Amino acid sequence: MPAIYRASLGYLWRHPWQLVLALLGICIGVAVMVAVDLANQSSRQAFLLSMDALNGQATHQIVMNPGGVDEKIYTELRGKLGFRSIAPIVAGNVQIGEISLQLLGVDVFAESEFREYTSPTNLNNDLAGESVADAGKPEEMTRRLLTDVGAILLPHSLAASLGLQTGAQFAVLVNGKSYPATLAGTLGSGQQKGLGNLVVTDIANAQYWLGMQGRLSRIDVRVTPENESSVDDVVRLLPPGTEFLSAAGRTQTMAEMSAAFMTNLAAMSLLAMLVGIFLIYNSVAFAVLQRRDLIGILRALGVTRPEIFKLILLEAIVIGSLGAVLGLAAGIWLGEKLVVLVARTISDHYFAVSVANVELDVASIVKGFLAGLGATLAAAIAPALEASAYQPRLAMTRSSLERRAGLLVPRLGVFGVFLILLAALMLSVSRTSLSVGLGALFVLMLGFALCVPVGVRWISTALAPFAGKTGGTVGRMVVGGVGQSLSRTAVAIVALAIAVSATIGVSVMVGSFRASVSEWLGNTLQADVYVGVPGGSLDPVLLQELISVDGIVNHSTSRRAWLETAAGRVRLQAIQMAPGNYATTRIRDGDPADVWRQFEDGSGVLVSDSYAYRQSVARGDPITLNSSNGPVSFRVAAVYQNYDSNDGAIMMSRRVYDRLFDDPAIDSIGLYLADGVDADSIMVKLQSISAGRQSLIMNSNMRIRELSMGIFERTFVITNVLYWLAIGVAVIGILGALLALQLERAREFGVLRAIGMTPFQTGALVSIQSAFIGLLAGIAAVPLGLAMAWVLIKVINRRAFGWQIDLAVSADAILVAILLAVGAALLAGLYPSWRAARSRPALAMRDE
Amino acid sequence: MTSSKFGARVNIRELSRSFREGNQLHEVLRKMSIDIASGETVALRGRSGSGKSTLLNLICGIDSPDSGEVEVAGNNITGMPERERTLYRRENIGFVYQAFNLIPTLTVADNVRLVLELNQVPRREADERIGYLLDAVGLSDRATTYPDILSGGEQQRVAIARALSHQPALLLADEPTGNLDERAAENVLSLLDKLVRQAGGTMIIATHSATVANYADRVLELINGRLAS
Repeated sequence: MPAIYRASLGYLWRHPWQLVLALLGICIGVAVMVAVDLANQSSRQAFLLSMDALNGQATHQIVMNPGGVDEKIYTELRGKLGFRSIAPIVAGNVQIGEISLQLLGVDVFAESEFREYTSPTNLNNDLAGESVADAGKPEEMTRRLLTDVGAILLPHSLAASLGLQTGAQFAVLVNGKSYPATLAGTLGSGQQKGLGNLVVTDIANAQYWLGMQGRLSRIDVRVTPENESSVDDVVRLLPPGTEFLSAAGRTQTMAEMSAAFMTNLAAMSLLAMLVGIFLIYNSVAFAVLQRRDLIGILRALGVTRPEIFKLILLEAIVIGSLGAVLGLAAGIWLGEKLVVLVARTISDHYFAVSVANVELDVASIVKGFLAGLGATLAAAIAPALEASAYQPRLAMTRSSLERRAGLLVPRLGVFGVFLILLAALMLSVSRTSLSVGLGALFVLMLGFALCVPVGVRWISTALAPFAGKTGGTVGRMVVGGVGQSLSRTAVAIVALAIAVSATIGVSVMVGSFRASVSEWLGNTLQADVYVGVPGGSLDPVLLQELISVDGIVNHSTSRRAWLETAAGRVRLQAIQMAPGNYATTRIRDGDPADVWRQFEDGSGVLVSDSYAYRQSVARGDPITLNSSNGPVSFRVAAVYQNYDSNDGAIMMSRRVYDRLFDDPAIDSIGLYLADGVDADSIMVKLQSISAGRQSLIMNSNMRIRELSMGIFERTFVITNVLYWLAIGVAVIGILGALLALQLERAREFGVLRAIGMTPFQTGALVSIQSAFIGLLAGIAAVPLGLAMAWVLIKVINRRAFGWQIDLAVSADAILVAILLAVGAALLAGLYPSWRAARSRPALAMRDE
Repeated sequence: MTSSKFGARVNIRELSRSFREGNQLHEVLRKMSIDIASGETVALRGRSGSGKSTLLNLICGIDSPDSGEVEVAGNNITGMPERERTLYRRENIGFVYQAFNLIPTLTVADNVRLVLELNQVPRREADERIGYLLDAVGLSDRATTYPDILSGGEQQRVAIARALSHQPALLLADEPTGNLDERAAENVLSLLDKLVRQAGGTMIIATHSATVANYADRVLELINGRLAS
C-alpha cells in the first residue's frame, strides 16, 4: 500500500474508537433501513403468496355484496352456459385450539385447473397414523373429504406443528360454534409457499360450518385464450349486484391497503439513516480536522488537492463499505425481530398475514448497501473538499478553523431558513401526495438542522457571562467552549437535536392521536356490555334470547361488511342505533337532526374522515353502492369521526341495509342496562344462555376500551423501536464528538491538571460540558419537534390514513425530551470524562 | 549525493506579502529582491516576525505573494497555477522545519519513502536511496521506528533525510535547530553541510542563531520585511 494511504489509515488505526464509532453509525443506519425494508417486503410477500395460494390460477372472481353469491349462479354457468373454467369457493375463519386459520371450502373436482395443492393427486400421506390403514392413498383422502362431515386438509407443516396425524379427530371453532373435525390428509409437503394458515375442506362442509347454505363466498374464474370469447356471456348471465373482478387487481387492492403504513415505516427508517448520515459526517469531518497537520504536511510535500480529495474519499469508501456490510448483517437480524411487529400491526389493521421468516430480498440488500455507501460518500464530500482546500501551511491553527466555521454558521442558517420555507411550499403545493409530504418533512428537518449551530452560538454567547459569574473561569470555559468549538460540537448537537426532535414529534403525534382515539371511544362506546363472535356473526335465535334478558333496556347492532367494487374494497358498517348513540357520534359538518333523518330514511349515508379524504367526497356528494339489487345512489349526509378503519368506512342504517342487501348477519351487539344493573352479573347470565351453542366474546364498556387502546398502543410499538434506534445513533454521534473534543483538548486538560485541577474537577468539567451540549440539543429540538408533530398529524397521517387528529401538546413530552437529550449527552460524556480525569499533564504537554 | 538538478539558482524580484489582522494590514515583506547563486548557502537572519518564514513559504510555493516573482532554476514559481506549483515543489524543493513535521503514523523509513513514492521513484531505487540517506544521517538502525519515540535531534535528522530523498534543486530550512540542544544542533548542521553544501546544493536557512549563520556562504539580515543594507 502506498505510504500516503498508510499515513492516512495509520491515523484511524491509532484512534480505533473513532473508526468503531463511524462504523457503528453506518452500521445502525443501514441495519434499520434494511430491517424495515425486509420486514415490509416479507409481510407483503407472505400476504401475496397466501393470496396466490388462495386464488391459484384464477384470473377473475365473481363476488356479490356482502352476503355472498347464490350457488345457483355457479350451476347455471357450468350447466346452462357450459363454462367449465370456474370453481366455487366458500371462505371464512376457523380456529384450532388457539390458532386462527383461514378456511377454504372447495369442490375438489373443479379444483384441478385452479389450485394444484388441492388436487387429489397432490395430497400427502406422510403423517398417516397407524390406525388408519388406507389413509395414505390420495383417492381415500378425497373420498373422506367428500363424504366425512368435518374432514379437513391442513398444510403439512401446520399439521406437524400441531402434532396431528392423518385420521386424528379434534374440535374446530367456526363462527363461535364448536364442530368435530378429522384430518383427512396434508397439503403440499412444504413445496407450496403461502399455505401456512390454510384449512381446506369440502365446500358443503364449509357452508355448513359458516352458515352459508346455498351461498358461495365467490366463484373463481379462469379466463384463457380458448374461453375468452365466452366471458361476455358469463357476465351477461350474472344477476344485478354481482361483480366480475380481476383476481390480481383484488389482491393488489388489498395489498395497497397497507402501503401507507409501510411507507411511514420506511420513512421512520430513513430518519435513523438521516441521523446516521450526520454521524458519518461527524466522524469523517473529525478524522479530517484532526489530521489537518498531516494534510498540511502532505500538501507541503507536494501532494495535490485532487490527491487529498481522493485520499479522503477512498477512506470513506472503505469505511462505508465495511459499515454497510456490517449493517446488512445486523439488518437481517433486526428484520427477523421487526417482521413480527410489522406482521402483527398489519394483521391488526389490514389483513391476516402470517410470516415465519424474513425473505432475503436481493433488492433490499443491494439498496441498503448502496444507501450506506452513498450516505458515507455524501457525508465525506464536504470534509474531503475542505481538506483538499487546506493551504499547504503547517500553521493551520484551531482558531483559524473556528473562524472559518464561525463565518459559515450564519450562511448555513440563512440556507436553513430557505429550506424551511421550501418545505412549507412543498406542503402547500403537494396537496395529497404522501411521498412529497414525507420529502417536505425531511427538508424541514434539514432546514432546522442548519439553523441549530446559529442557535447554539447565540445561546452559548448569551449564557457565557452568566456562567462566568456563577462558575468563574471554569464555568465560562464550559459554556463558552461549546460555542467556540462549533467545528467540533455543532454536528453532534445537530444529530442529537434531530433524534430528540423526532421523539418530541412522534410522542406529541402519538399523544394527540391517543387523546383523539380515547375521546372517540368514549363517545362511541356508550353501551354497557358488548357481545360479538370472533370472525363470525351472532346466531339470530340466540341473539333474540340475549337481548331479552332482564335488566337489558336497549340494544344496538353492528354489521361490518366489505363491499367489493371495481375501484377497490369499501368497508360498510350497518348500524342499528340505540337512542343515545345519535348524540354521541361526532359529526364533522351538517345539522345533526337533518343528518340522522337522511341516515334513517335511506337517502343518505355517513362517511368516515378517512373515507371522505381518500375518496375526495364531502357532505352532499353522491355515492353509488352496488346492492343485491344493483347500483343504488346515496348522498353523503355527513362526515363523521372514526378511527377503527384505516381505509375509511361508510355508515348506513341497519334498516336501509336490510332493504338493500341479502345479508341478515349481525356481528356484534351493544347492550344497555337498566340503572343499578351490574354488567358482570348480566355477562354471567349471557354466558349461561350461550353455553354450548355459540362461543361469544363479551366485554364490559371499560374492558373494550382497554382492548381498543391496547391495539392502539401496539400499533406504535414499531414506531417507538425505530425512534429509539435513531436516538441510539445520536448518542453514538455525541460520544464520538466528545471523544474527539477530548483528544483535541488533551493539552488543555494537561495544563489544567498542571496548574492544580484535580482529576475529579477535570472529569467534572467534561461532564458538565456534555450536559450543556445535551441541554442545547434539547432546546434546539423543541421547535423542530413541534413542527414535526404538526406535519405528522396534519399532513402525514392525513395523507396516509385520512385521519383527522387534534393537536395536543403536553409539557411532559417536551420536558422528557430535553431530559432525554441531557441524559444521552451525559451518558456519552462518561468515557471522555473518565479519560480527561486520567490525563497525565507531563504526557499531554510533551508534544510541544 | 550528486544530481544534475542539485544546486539551483534562485532569483527573487520585488517580492511583497502582507497579511490582514483585523482592520490592519501588516506588511511582512516589502519589495524584496535577492539573487542566490547555484550551490550557495544563504542564511536569513532576523527577529521573530521579520518575514523569514514567509519568504521561505513563498520560495517553495506554499504561499503566494501580493506582488513580485520567485524564480527557481529559471522557473517562475509565482506565475504557476496552484497544481503546477505543488508538483514543482514535490519534485524540486526540500523543506526542513523547526518542528520536524514528520508523519507520526509512518515509520522513519516510510516518512522518507513517502516523498519518493509521490515522485514515482521505482521501489528498488527508493529502497537504495532510503538506505543511503538513513545511513548518512546515522539512523539506519531506526528505520522501522515511529517518529514519536525518537529524540528531537533524531527526528530532525529524519526530516533532513526526507527533505533530500528526492534530490531537490533547492533545500529550505526554517530554524532547523530551533528545537534542539547544542550538541544535536551541531550534528544537524554538520549533516546539512555535508549532504547539501559540500555536495554543491543550494540551501536557504532561516535562523536566529549566529552559529547556524556561520555555516552559510552569505548572511542576509531581514528587518521589517526588508533586507538590511
